[in-house]
Amino acid sequence: MTNEKSEALRKNKAEIALGGGQKRIDKQHESGKLTARERLELFFDKGTFTEIDVFVSHRSSNFDMPNVHAPGDGVVSGYGNVNGRLVFAYAQDFTVLGGSLGEYHAEKIVKTQKMALKMGAPIVGMNDSGGARIQEGVNALSGYGKIFYNNTIASGVVPQISVIMGPCAGGAVYSPAITDFIFMVDGTSKMFITGPQVIKAVTGEDVSDETLGGAMTHNSVSGVAHFIGKDDEDTIAQVKDLLSYLPSNNLEVAPQRQASDDVNRLIPELNDIIPESPNKGYDVYDVVKAIADDGRYLDVAKHYAKNIVTCFIRLAGSTVGVIANQPKVAAGCLDINASDKAARFVRRCDAFNIPLLNIVDVPGFLPGVGQETGGIIRHGAKLLYAYCEATVPKVTMILRKAYGGAYIAMCNKELGADLVFAWPSAEIAVMGADGAANIVFRKDIKNADDPIAKRAEKVAEYEEKFNNPYRAAEMGYVEDIIEPSQSRQRLVGAFDMLESKRESLPAKKHGNIPL
Amino acid sequence: MNKKYNITVNGTSYAVEVEEVGGAPVVTSAAPAPAAPAPAPAASAAPAALTAPAAAPADTVSVGASVVEAPMPGTILDIKVAPGQVVNAGDTLLILEAMKMENEIVAPEAGTVNAVLTSKGMQVNAGDPLVSLT
Repeated sequence: MTNEKSEALRKNKAEIALGGGQKRIDKQHESGKLTARERLELFFDKGTFTEIDVFVSHRSSNFDMPNVHAPGDGVVSGYGNVNGRLVFAYAQDFTVLGGSLGEYHAEKIVKTQKMALKMGAPIVGMNDSGGARIQEGVNALSGYGKIFYNNTIASGVVPQISVIMGPCAGGAVYSPAITDFIFMVDGTSKMFITGPQVIKAVTGEDVSDETLGGAMTHNSVSGVAHFIGKDDEDTIAQVKDLLSYLPSNNLEVAPQRQASDDVNRLIPELNDIIPESPNKGYDVYDVVKAIADDGRYLDVAKHYAKNIVTCFIRLAGSTVGVIANQPKVAAGCLDINASDKAARFVRRCDAFNIPLLNIVDVPGFLPGVGQETGGIIRHGAKLLYAYCEATVPKVTMILRKAYGGAYIAMCNKELGADLVFAWPSAEIAVMGADGAANIVFRKDIKNADDPIAKRAEKVAEYEEKFNNPYRAAEMGYVEDIIEPSQSRQRLVGAFDMLESKRESLPAKKHGNIPL
Repeated sequence: MNKKYNITVNGTSYAVEVEEVGGAPVVTSAAPAPAAPAPAPAASAAPAALTAPAAAPADTVSVGASVVEAPMPGTILDIKVAPGQVVNAGDTLLILEAMKMENEIVAPEAGTVNAVLTSKGMQVNAGDPLVSLT
């Protein structure tokens, strides 16, 4: 008797595991996608994925729905281990009613969100859905609302990662948009509020869905997504790598990784990395790689606003978030997109107790009508705000240019940097020598017999007096001027000292970041 | 809408006007501008070579389309490529001086330089076309 019942259970589960059936699974594979269950199996450590709400189905009585069989209601949810740590996840099943979101589909996701929050574990959502299940009407919309609400409540408590592995259109995009990180699979994933057909009908614009909402569009143009993977396997591997840099929740610190890299390793090549000419760029990734444990870093939003680099590295085995100006791209200036990218990154790190390393070589904010009318004032303000508000250890290292407002915006002493280091090549000033000499010595230059020679003389004078780190160090705005080759050693020491840092902000509901 | 370009072919400068035609996008990121013939020294070939990238309305040019634009306002300090030259992704196309820095403008993808749409010493604004690649 018992055996019969067990047998029936196994049969029942096997049927549900097939989702929308073999034919649709084949179709999913043909379009270059894995099924929901295959994705989860790949994501979790072997044999650790535990499904919940296996038997949940819809209860809609509208139209032909009573006759529609929807295994799992189009979503697979549960928990398991990723590299030995508890993680919650759900994956929408495109083979079941196109992964459409109905009332119980949403309830399953919400339950997973609530469990992740209660257990203090990261949650990963794999999106592959045609959108709201129209037959379920306003119940489907209610479902989206609940998911957004729980995304927001969990924000800053547990890391939330969205992986777009198929269509994700309309209201559905806002769950990923609220989460901390968005991954997209190249070729198969699409995100948009309104698709090409609606756009064509309303505005007359012709656009392909790839151009409008493909992985590279969102990684490089809109900045909506932060990572791009070649295919499902590659993308899932990247998600696991990212998780290794993050703590499970806001009360923990990121897992320590045994470091084989010598903390006292000197980096002689950094002594020569700054070009002789102040007009020449260099690749700041070379600095990041040289400093990081084993030269490894994980770029966040690599293809967006490339004039600033935001990445995770490990120093002596601990995760550090790096924000670095990239002199090789757009002179490394701060503009609207770079400010947004960096501000978001600072807040991610602060929320999850990840110390910040700011690597500064910034000529200023980008001038231009487009920047001013685009609101660089309020966008730049986000970066300043985010730095001021961050209570994690903050270390700033100035390599070369640190001019004007951009010097402040890259977390100078007053924005709360716990330690500021400068290389001997640092130029900490209100502006470059050329511009400054023209203003400060305007009369001298104008009245000189040879204005050109006088200007050159005054530029040189200004350069010698102010374009160096010593003035700032004399005032205590810079704690120490260090040899570039010793950067790793000094940074490891700094973060080690700062590990016990405790700083709290005044009690308040929340600040009012200029969004 | 008509757009004016200065095109340098084998060292000779041509002023070219290109009419933008609506319709299906010609340029895709996968196979950029199939219609463009190899650049020839004849003046008539220059506009033809440009037709492909310019014909796609700005709204439908996909990411990684074949016109490299100025990322920021500045002055063209040096041009490192000539029409017909084969480039790899990441190769320097030209040097744009901006913010008192020499910015290397690099090829976003591998291809052949179709036309250089700017000249040394020219002031450019963000979004101005610099080099077209096929």
